[in-house]
Amino acid sequence: MITRTRAERLDEAVDGILSGAAPAVEPELRPLVDTASLLRAALPPLPAGERFEARLASRLLRPGHLVWLAVLLGHAAGRGIGRAMRHPGRSLAAVGGVVTALAALVAVGFTRRAARRG
Amino acid sequence: MSRSLPAPERPTAADPDLDAVLAAQADRAAFAVLYQRYLDRVYGYCFYLLGDHHDAEDATERTFLAALRALPGFRDEGASFRAWLFRIARNTVLNARRGRIRRRTEPLPDSFDRAAPDSDPAGMVAQADELRRALRVVHQLPDDRRQVILLRFVDGLSSREIGLVLDRSEGAVRVLLHRALRDLAARLHP
Repeated sequence: MITRTRAERLDEAVDGILSGAAPAVEPELRPLVDTASLLRAALPPLPAGERFEARLASRLLRPGHLVWLAVLLGHAAGRGIGRAMRHPGRSLAAVGGVVTALAALVAVGFTRRAARRG
Repeated sequence: MSRSLPAPERPTAADPDLDAVLAAQADRAAFAVLYQRYLDRVYGYCFYLLGDHHDAEDATERTFLAALRALPGFRDEGASFRAWLFRIARNTVLNARRGRIRRRTEPLPDSFDRAAPDSDPAGMVAQADELRRALRVVHQLPDDRRQVILLRFVDGLSSREIGLVLDRSEGAVRVLLHRALRDLAARLHP
């Protein structure tokens, strides 16, 4: 029979906490598991700012690829629904910015196409 | 910028990022998927370690630029992409700390301002007290234990992955986690 160490049992319990479970452990590990649960609640993932996200994406972006734009628009849409409900004015401004960016892209596309034909 | 990038590794069969990594190696534009997947997690890791929004953004930016440059050399040596990425982030944070020591601008834990400027202020206020207290005690841990706590709880890495990030064995990481939680329990619930 394999005997697991206390550190291994605690590690498994933390796996359970991180997956949303309430692991059953021996009494001597209970204070540590309770602390792990507190940390799970008190150290949430921190979202990067949307302006920073867009700025860094533009630095990583290689011109000519629209995959980035599609991914970022999808990401922003997923994040933006909750914010739009709370800050409708700010959201309208953001939507205006996106529409402007899309219009610029379409204009660039037409210009390139016209240049190729011309 | 980090000068000590981790040795190139190739994604393993168990790597959940395998498809995205291979796609990004073939076409740089596909890196967008990995960027979207890990931006917040890398930013959070950097922020919790540096305690400053602008330093965290700078470290995050350097991490992704370095990762994008090094990605074509990523080879299979048993590590996942995310362990590789967080090794780059760790090196970047270490370099940022060295620069900060030179500038003598190390922030105190109480100065933590967790959210980005355009985040929801209501959510910030609601969690601020609990977060400050937990951050304060996490910040008081020795660096290796603090790294284990953040990589495990904020970024969700396994002990094996954390070992790859910190150049420790999986067993050593488990022992560090046990000691860190024991310290934190004593400080949070004296």
